[in-house]
Amino acid sequence: MKAVSLFIPCTVDLFLPHIGEATVSLLRRAGVNPVYHEEQTCCGQPAINAGYQREARKAAKHFIQVFGGDEIVVSPSGSCVCMVKDHYPELLADEPEWLRRAEELAPRVFELSQYLVDVLKVEDVGASFGGKVAYHESCHILRGLGVSQQPKKLISAVKGIQMVPLNAADSCCGFGGEFANNYPEISEAMVQDKVENYLASGADLLLLCEPGCLLNIGGYLSRNHPGKKAMHLASFLAGNGREGR
Amino acid sequence: MEVRTEKFKDLARAELQNIYSRRFLKVGPPIMVMKRDLAMATFPDIPAARAYGAAIKAEAVARLPELLEEFEKNATANGAKVFWARDDREANQMILQLAKERGVPYVTKGKSMVTEEMGLNEILSKNGVEPWETDLGEFIAQQLNRPPFHIVGPAINVPVEEVRDLFMAKANMKEPTLDPVQLGYAARLFLRDKFHHVRFGITGVNMAVAETGTIINVENEGNIRFTKSCPRTQVSVMSLEKVVPTMKDALHLLRLLCRSCTGQRLSAYVSMDSGPKKKDEVDGPEELFIVIVDNGRSKIYQDPKSREALRCIRCAACLNICPVYRQIGGYAYGWAYSGPMGQVLNPLLLGMKRTQDLYRATTLCGACKDHCPVGIDHPSMFLYYRAKDVLDDPYFQGQRRPWVEKRFFQGWSLAVNRSWLWNLGTRMIRPLLNKGAREGIIREMKGPFSGWFRQRDLPALADKTFRERWKEIKNPEIV
Repeated sequence: MKAVSLFIPCTVDLFLPHIGEATVSLLRRAGVNPVYHEEQTCCGQPAINAGYQREARKAAKHFIQVFGGDEIVVSPSGSCVCMVKDHYPELLADEPEWLRRAEELAPRVFELSQYLVDVLKVEDVGASFGGKVAYHESCHILRGLGVSQQPKKLISAVKGIQMVPLNAADSCCGFGGEFANNYPEISEAMVQDKVENYLASGADLLLLCEPGCLLNIGGYLSRNHPGKKAMHLASFLAGNGREGR
Repeated sequence: MEVRTEKFKDLARAELQNIYSRRFLKVGPPIMVMKRDLAMATFPDIPAARAYGAAIKAEAVARLPELLEEFEKNATANGAKVFWARDDREANQMILQLAKERGVPYVTKGKSMVTEEMGLNEILSKNGVEPWETDLGEFIAQQLNRPPFHIVGPAINVPVEEVRDLFMAKANMKEPTLDPVQLGYAARLFLRDKFHHVRFGITGVNMAVAETGTIINVENEGNIRFTKSCPRTQVSVMSLEKVVPTMKDALHLLRLLCRSCTGQRLSAYVSMDSGPKKKDEVDGPEELFIVIVDNGRSKIYQDPKSREALRCIRCAACLNICPVYRQIGGYAYGWAYSGPMGQVLNPLLLGMKRTQDLYRATTLCGACKDHCPVGIDHPSMFLYYRAKDVLDDPYFQGQRRPWVEKRFFQGWSLAVNRSWLWNLGTRMIRPLLNKGAREGIIREMKGPFSGWFRQRDLPALADKTFRERWKEIKNPEIV
């Protein structure tokens, strides 16, 4: 079986480990063998976003050392993948040897839905769900990676599912890492809009592929609309609509 | 104009409570984006059109000194007088002096962002020269004494009832009405009278063509053309990044500007002026002054990365698409330039100490970059500015970061390439963070993370991290 290397973001490792398990399960169903390097830590996104480029560079080099030998790296987060693909070459621009390694690694790193649909050509993962869902287009997945059709294809292939349109699906949910905490009023207004659009869509469930958006939208729903849920596509597919492996 | 960028948080909070602004923001920007998208779709190849625009501006900015000299030479040959102003004070003094020497009681103005930046109107009126804004939106904003809400539609958020009351009080309107055509007519009558007697006109510049010495203005109301053609004396004020190499370049930028700005393929009026009125011409000013304003731009030019900010053509596509602007509108940004373009430009023009919130109040969603017709990568600029703060950069006055944050990232970077230490760290944080958790959910937290918890919960840190679970599931038979 072909081996793929799991790149598990900190948010998933610490807060949402079931998304990591679901990723493992989906990859196995698709006929590949996920492996996990236990030396992995953080891709460096919090550091670069806070302006700590020297520290982010350290994370980048560590990541390249850990994952550099892998043929394929897959992650259930688009923004972490963008970090590796877009920001590592920028961060390491002045160190030719590291830059070369970063550029060699970049095209081998995939967001999960992108890998399943574009590389493995898998759309039907054998899931079923009798209900309506809407899909939120996360910023870094949509604009950073250009991934939009792939998750929708995976959703459409679920037996019994009905996908409903989400108004302003491509508008930011207001997460933005430290932004959500430092500018709470603005961030709340943004996530409120997102949730209102979700409620108006008539969907039973909001699906997305980004752990950051899930913490934000899910956190807002948990507080204000406890009956409504947002779910990562991986755990949705792996658990037939329940949070599961 | 008054700089209030330090008050971003307070202004934003106030604007989030402003029902009129928010009512407009829910509808206006999405419509403008739709119009922009439809207009952009008339290009046979949209990415190519944008890449061409980016290439033109990148070249123009890279060759700035040389192009400005070429422009000066050709504009002077056309009969214009070119003045160079190092900063807003110099530019204001030059213009004031020109007006004083000619003894004019008032001037008419076309909409110009650089004169907003300079605070020209205040200087003129303080010194006995009344400035009349003649762009309808700018006229309303000026009469209400408000900063621009939007760089293209400065008063676009003002409800029609307020415009009615304003025109009854200040624009000689006879009957109260909410009919936009009647309101427009009232403003037109009022301003026509100003044009009729005007001896001195001031406008901005959308593009200055080095090759021909031509200045180009784009508008939809005809007021700029009036201001440029009626008076004896005309002053065109431009910030120095308005120069482009050739007329061909200018024409492509014109295509991009009109589409990105108002969703038009071409605006109703485009004026191209090469010098003052010639002997055999009927219209036009007898004397034309072009004031080229630096006001911090050559400092930006010195830094190759920051230079990207000078590409901006003020189309406002980034404002219309920005999810933060769509919540708080233009006042919160505290100066002439708002939205993502202001967040990119203001820190460089005003210094980073005074503009901290501008490049932090962003989710880095990238919608601005996605809509920019000249290839500005706003999110990457924001990250660049944040890095300047961490380095205490003296050039752009980086603001030293808090001690706690610095220590946090020191610790973080110690652990980031030592997984054993990283894991130890996460195990130590878990009980601290989970202290207040009930049923796997954290609902409140005091201290530096309280912002999150005002309206949001957070899952508790899992009993077992993925790393710990992996040991159990790495053997496929178990799952």
